[in-house]
Amino acid sequence: MAKRSKRFEVLAKRPVNQDGFVAEWPEVGLIAMNSPFDPKPSLKIENGRVVEMDGKRREDFDMIEQFIADYFIDVSVAPEVMTMDSAQIARMIVDINVPRTEIARLAQGMTPAKVVEVLGHMNIVEIMMGMMKMRARKTPANQCHVTNLRDNPVQIAADAAEAALRGFAEQETTVGVVRYAPFNALSLLVGSQTGRGGVLTQCALEEATELQLGMRGLTSYAETISVYGTEQVFVDGDDTPWSKAFLASAYASRGLKMRFTSGTGSEVQMGYAEGKSMLYLEARCVMLTKGAGVQGLQNGSISCIGVPGAVPTGIRAVAAENLITMMLDLEVASGNDQTFSHSDIRRTARLLPQFAAGTDFIFSGYSAVPNYDNMFAGSNFDIEDMDDYLILQRDLMVDGGVRPVSEEEVVAVRNRAARALQAVFKELGLPEITDEEVEAATYAHGSEDMPPRKVAEDLKAAQDMIARGVTGLDVVKALAKHGFEDIAQNILNMLKQRVSGDYLHTSAILDQHFHVISAVNDLNDYRGPGTGYRLSKERWEEIKNIVQALRPEDMEI
Amino acid sequence: MDARYIEQLVREVIKQMSNVAGEENTPAASACAQVGKAECDLQPGKDYPLAEKRPELIRTATGKKLEELTIENVLNGRITPQDVRITPDALLMQARIAEACGRKQLAQNFRRAAELTRVPDERILEIYNALRPYRSTRAELLAIADELEQKYGARINAAFVREAADVYERRGRLRTA
Repeated sequence: MAKRSKRFEVLAKRPVNQDGFVAEWPEVGLIAMNSPFDPKPSLKIENGRVVEMDGKRREDFDMIEQFIADYFIDVSVAPEVMTMDSAQIARMIVDINVPRTEIARLAQGMTPAKVVEVLGHMNIVEIMMGMMKMRARKTPANQCHVTNLRDNPVQIAADAAEAALRGFAEQETTVGVVRYAPFNALSLLVGSQTGRGGVLTQCALEEATELQLGMRGLTSYAETISVYGTEQVFVDGDDTPWSKAFLASAYASRGLKMRFTSGTGSEVQMGYAEGKSMLYLEARCVMLTKGAGVQGLQNGSISCIGVPGAVPTGIRAVAAENLITMMLDLEVASGNDQTFSHSDIRRTARLLPQFAAGTDFIFSGYSAVPNYDNMFAGSNFDIEDMDDYLILQRDLMVDGGVRPVSEEEVVAVRNRAARALQAVFKELGLPEITDEEVEAATYAHGSEDMPPRKVAEDLKAAQDMIARGVTGLDVVKALAKHGFEDIAQNILNMLKQRVSGDYLHTSAILDQHFHVISAVNDLNDYRGPGTGYRLSKERWEEIKNIVQALRPEDMEI
Repeated sequence: MDARYIEQLVREVIKQMSNVAGEENTPAASACAQVGKAECDLQPGKDYPLAEKRPELIRTATGKKLEELTIENVLNGRITPQDVRITPDALLMQARIAEACGRKQLAQNFRRAAELTRVPDERILEIYNALRPYRSTRAELLAIADELEQKYGARINAAFVREAADVYERRGRLRTA
């Protein structure tokens, strides 16, 4: 073009134009939902056994299809729901006169193609209405990431304490260097229980290592148990539905909460989408998760968000996959957990369905650290966005799972967590945490503000800690001996959870009194305006009272 | 009421009965046996969370009560890592709660887990790895199933591993060499 429009030059420089977009290409699976190559819903049952599903005969089933047919499909409901009109089912989902339990019952008899056909009739607002009604736990909550570029343990403890104070119900860490994992798990545990007793913690690692840390009592739940919608990608991920279901039972056998992870776009990204739409493949993941007897699922594209984010109606499909999970009566940790767009407008819009409707965990997770310290490749919202997020709660009168906090209390709790970890390291014979490091972590924003540690020494000690068989009880002892009885008690209370198993149930979190709140004793009962979750007076006061707001008494008149 | 519903009902009853029988055979089913069967008819509304509403039913893997899990007992060495482990009994009780909530697959997961409480940590990790694709021959998987059944009384898991062997064979996911 010889001469350029100044208008178009300005637009070209806008952040959104740094994002990637792609036209639909159904043959390779680059299509969000309703691909012309998606199977048509069908189901044949003989002698109580599924012999044909979505146009495929039993002898041709891949592993995923066999697992879904035998462990998910409820043959007593399927004949009823498979003959119902899909648009009618979609209307029932948004009809306040049809209770959640009825939709959940019908959903157990649907095939993957059927549920995708139902969701295809729903626009984004209807999907959000469905989420508000169908999520399992009545009270919404939030999860955060606590990581840093250098795996600095003191900083992890301080950030975990701050995030717990801010209200996150679950915290997830991971590693830059794998051998740091035991320290990261330990620091997250001590920090979180300093900020607020009852916060659940996990350390995302290779499956077997993650389970081992849980067995040692250094984490209280797990989430990075990935499942995929095509057999080839599942196998490339080094698992099968049977190995993953066995792993699920292994976690429960040690009294540990866990959920699976999946998401639209992963199969395209790994090159074997078999020409199916992203939502169709994701529906298979949700159903096999349900069949495995896992209580919940982290989905909403997760680390593949760039893929649905690039195609038409992709963000609607991401909300739709959350809704399918809820219809199957599973806990959902609903994504929003990876840097998604250069555009602040777009990343806020991507958040709104889960934020406004409410989910079990709106983010999985919100980055409680600066974007540069987030080892999950950033999050959709980072700690720098916290005041924006708090004001979004206030503007829309929505419970986003966090609370305003003062600088004084944050500084105090960060300092205490760093000192507590200093004591634990000393007692367990781990490399010294200096007073200088405690001071830095107290006031730090990110790892750039932290003095460097002797990494080789840390890594050796971290491996040694595992070899010596250090457990959560050793941490309790160390804290109690050094005058941190309340934190010691909180960690012991976390360990006690795995004896009763109450928190193994769907959508379980713990309040500050270690009281379990789950879809057993806090089941969502939304039936229209005035029902379901409503902000209590106390919670609304908390959300309303941001420090930035002018009050008449502050004005000099 | 149609025939299929009746059939399913009967199957469920048989399954319940065989589970109860299985529990009585294991020492860990003692809590239910001690307090009587009626006490084990747990209801989500009145009995959950068990730690708060039915603490008398909960024991650690070493038979201690929840109230014995104190800082003092951790410091004096009376509480060991074995004491903060769940029992098969607690998992079977949680399975009943899950079933009463209409979550039958979750309940079945808790039942598989109840069996796996008897399998040591290291062995669990090994069996998980053996179930990954191309790790095991058919014979190796069948040997694991026999071990689970005979050594640990893990009948549901044994059947599950045998099924995996069949599926892996049909789909070419066994180790060939």
